[in-house]
Amino acid sequence: MDNFVNKIVELFSTPEYIDSLLHGFLLTLQVSYFAILIGVALGTVIALVDTAKKTKWTVVPKFICTVYTTIVRGTPMALQLFIMFFVIFAIKGFPSIITAIIAFGLNSAAYTAEVIRSGILSVDPGQTEAGLALGLSRRTIFFKIVAPQAIKNIIPAMGNEIITVIKETAIVSMVGMYDLNMAAKDIGSGQNMASYIVPMFVAALFYLATIYLITFIVRRVEKSLRKSERRVEE
Amino acid sequence: MEERATDLVIKNLRKSFGKNKVLNGIDFELKEGERVVVLGPSGSGKSTFLRCINWMEEPTSGEIIFDGEVVTEKNIRQVRRNIGMVFQHFNLINNMTVMENLTLAPVKLKVMKREAAEKRARELLRHIGLLGKADAYPASLSGGQKQRVAIVRAMMLSPEVLLFDEPTSALDPESIGDVLSLISELAERGMTIMIVTHEMSFAKEIATRVVFIDKGRIIEEGAPEEFFSHPKTERVREFLEKVL
Repeated sequence: MDNFVNKIVELFSTPEYIDSLLHGFLLTLQVSYFAILIGVALGTVIALVDTAKKTKWTVVPKFICTVYTTIVRGTPMALQLFIMFFVIFAIKGFPSIITAIIAFGLNSAAYTAEVIRSGILSVDPGQTEAGLALGLSRRTIFFKIVAPQAIKNIIPAMGNEIITVIKETAIVSMVGMYDLNMAAKDIGSGQNMASYIVPMFVAALFYLATIYLITFIVRRVEKSLRKSERRVEE
Repeated sequence: MEERATDLVIKNLRKSFGKNKVLNGIDFELKEGERVVVLGPSGSGKSTFLRCINWMEEPTSGEIIFDGEVVTEKNIRQVRRNIGMVFQHFNLINNMTVMENLTLAPVKLKVMKREAAEKRARELLRHIGLLGKADAYPASLSGGQKQRVAIVRAMMLSPEVLLFDEPTSALDPESIGDVLSLISELAERGMTIMIVTHEMSFAKEIATRVVFIDKGRIIEEGAPEEFFSHPKTERVREFLEKVL
């Protein structure tokens, strides 16, 4: 036990190790952050196409979206990452961080689309009917009535997706990128540390703290969104 | 109120959901000031009939002519402004307060300025005794209160016709009376009304005409006294025996 504590002290007092960890952590955050942005943007588009009224104009886009989500959700993330690295972006000198962001972003989009789609579908159709009967446009109905109610169902599941992306980015170490996971391994194999337990324990704490913070924020947002549902009776 | 020639003509209206034929050719006319009660067994298509009038369900074929114009995809929003609808499950907008529910359409459709809309909303709410709930969200209202707000919401745009789709079916017995008396009051003021209901005594009291639908067709219609005491068809006689 003493040894363990000593090693932790050693890790935190060696600037080189701290530097490696922070570097790795920063990469993890960067990849996650931009991947989630792409995921939300593209996922929203897919969800809107998916839930749009079926007309001759939406048949083809709807089909494309279905094929896309089926392929992305039906194949392993690690394989998608490899395809991006060794096939699609196998260009010499192309920044690997961008390849990783695109890979995770495109993957997350499929899951985010599903989250948003089910959020929209969970809104009572009577809400849309009320708007239609009043002569409101589909656009007004979506932005004023459906979207604000859907978002309450979307936020909790979206929090989950964000957490998943952050943890899943750990597999970038498989293509040699220096993220938090890789940093832990690197430090562990160093001459002085010579044990994986301590750096990996510390890396786990980094992940845990990040995810705890996100969970906390999501809960807060959820709570403030639920204000309009104050139920006095029923 | 200005002179209006409300005229709703429905010609050979048909509606199918997939292979299921719900309406099989309905011809119908509604004149200003009429109060038509639509009766029929469950599954007869009476709600679908009502919902086709303002295209909550798009008719499969047939024509709906409102104020002399054929209702199409293009003019449906304008038509809906003039046809108010009250639903069985109230359909108040959950993320808006009572006041916002009332003012949303008139303000968005530029029928009224916000201040004018709020003023009218307050008058109407005071009238139904719910002014104190103006800033409450629907979740905090009882069923009867929700439905009365929904009726008032439909009135905000001063529609020419009001459609009621089983307005009391989801209510407890105590609130049914409140809602029915509000509808009666609108009737007394000359509102043109179509209502699908299971409240027979109310139907008798309010109707100027009764329409009976079975298997997606109007099989009998007439004045309420005539309809309830001397039904012409066997099917209606059977129905009335069960419900009265």
